[in-house]
Amino acid sequence: MTKISEMPAVARGFISNLDLPVVDDPSWAQPVPANKRRISIVSTAAVHRRGDKPFSWLAKDFRAFDKTDRDLVMTHVAVEFDRSAWQQDLNTIIPLERLEEMADDGEIGSVAEEHYSFMGAADPITMEKSARQAAARMKQDGVNTVFLIPI
Amino acid sequence: MCGLAHYFESEGLSTVLVGFVREHIEAIKPPRALFLDFPMGRGMGKPNDPVFQKKVIREAFGLLDTDSGPVISDFPEVIPVKDGRMGYALPPELVLSVEDIGDVDAVLAEVKAEMAALRPDYEAAVAARERTTVGASGLEIEEFAPFVAGFLNGEIPQSPRKGMPAIPLLKLVVEDLEAYFTETRTHRDSIDDLELMGKWFWEESKTGRMLLLLEAVSIASDNKVMLQIVEMSLMAPRFWSEGPLPGTSAAGW
Repeated sequence: MTKISEMPAVARGFISNLDLPVVDDPSWAQPVPANKRRISIVSTAAVHRRGDKPFSWLAKDFRAFDKTDRDLVMTHVAVEFDRSAWQQDLNTIIPLERLEEMADDGEIGSVAEEHYSFMGAADPITMEKSARQAAARMKQDGVNTVFLIPI
Repeated sequence: MCGLAHYFESEGLSTVLVGFVREHIEAIKPPRALFLDFPMGRGMGKPNDPVFQKKVIREAFGLLDTDSGPVISDFPEVIPVKDGRMGYALPPELVLSVEDIGDVDAVLAEVKAEMAALRPDYEAAVAARERTTVGASGLEIEEFAPFVAGFLNGEIPQSPRKGMPAIPLLKLVVEDLEAYFTETRTHRDSIDDLELMGKWFWEESKTGRMLLLLEAVSIASDNKVMLQIVEMSLMAPRFWSEGPLPGTSAAGW
């Protein structure tokens, strides 16, 4: 396992000095059975449809995209993660095709119409308002399950 | 990411996440989390491998069957990373200076020729994948190199994109350039190797060299944002390097 203490100096210093949010009374939303799950993906890869407004460096807002959108670009501020994987296959970071296959096979209920992307470099505390706005849109779409995937 | 899980959960939505830094998952305690010992940028593990990708998804979704939490589970397979770093890193000693720039027109001509030679293979990659990630900057491919070269003269050129200042645009152009190269090579040579791609682009290509010259210009710049780009490792891949870029503190964050 890659431990923070074993990371190279620059990354170790940055990651170990991050202020992490503390949640005193965490919520627990009881999951529905697998075949009732309607799933929306939330990515922190700062991807969006080509032509949408690029993310600013510490953006608090989000971009939504449809489950059929494939012409996505990334405007994440950081360059420390590999971009070559998603260039080859969008499913490596946003597995819409895998979820559609699982829905077709009855492993999950359905795939949401909309999915969401945030700027992972920003402090999550600043994203609360946006996250709740995204949640409201999800609930309008009948979503009950969120699959969160970092970059 | 872990913090977002709490917000969605408090809205009555069940969440499950995957994550790369186990210590952060343990500290923030999202309701359901699957730790992945993978390089960053590969949440589902392997491109064009539906079987592996579904293994990750099924392992994560299995956590939705637990009755209480928080629960953290470890994905049983490891995709090794090199030397504790979770992405490619430039060798710390590979640093250029403004004295290395020489004739900017000659630098630009070399890069244009290099890019033109790759163009047929890039077009083939786009046709095969039916998508490209190149173009986040909104500029045409032919505009990328001349825009970067404009900075090598030590001045901030005017942004050609309405509503976006030159320096944020520069960052996107740098990423577009790298994407142009790596999209081409991964398809042309059927390889998936992030270390090899980083080494080829940043250490061996003329275009990578132009960007290291841009980095040298940034360090020498009076412009705070240009300096910030290198302080925060936002342009050249030095985040995972063993030691900060000379002339910077790497403390921009």
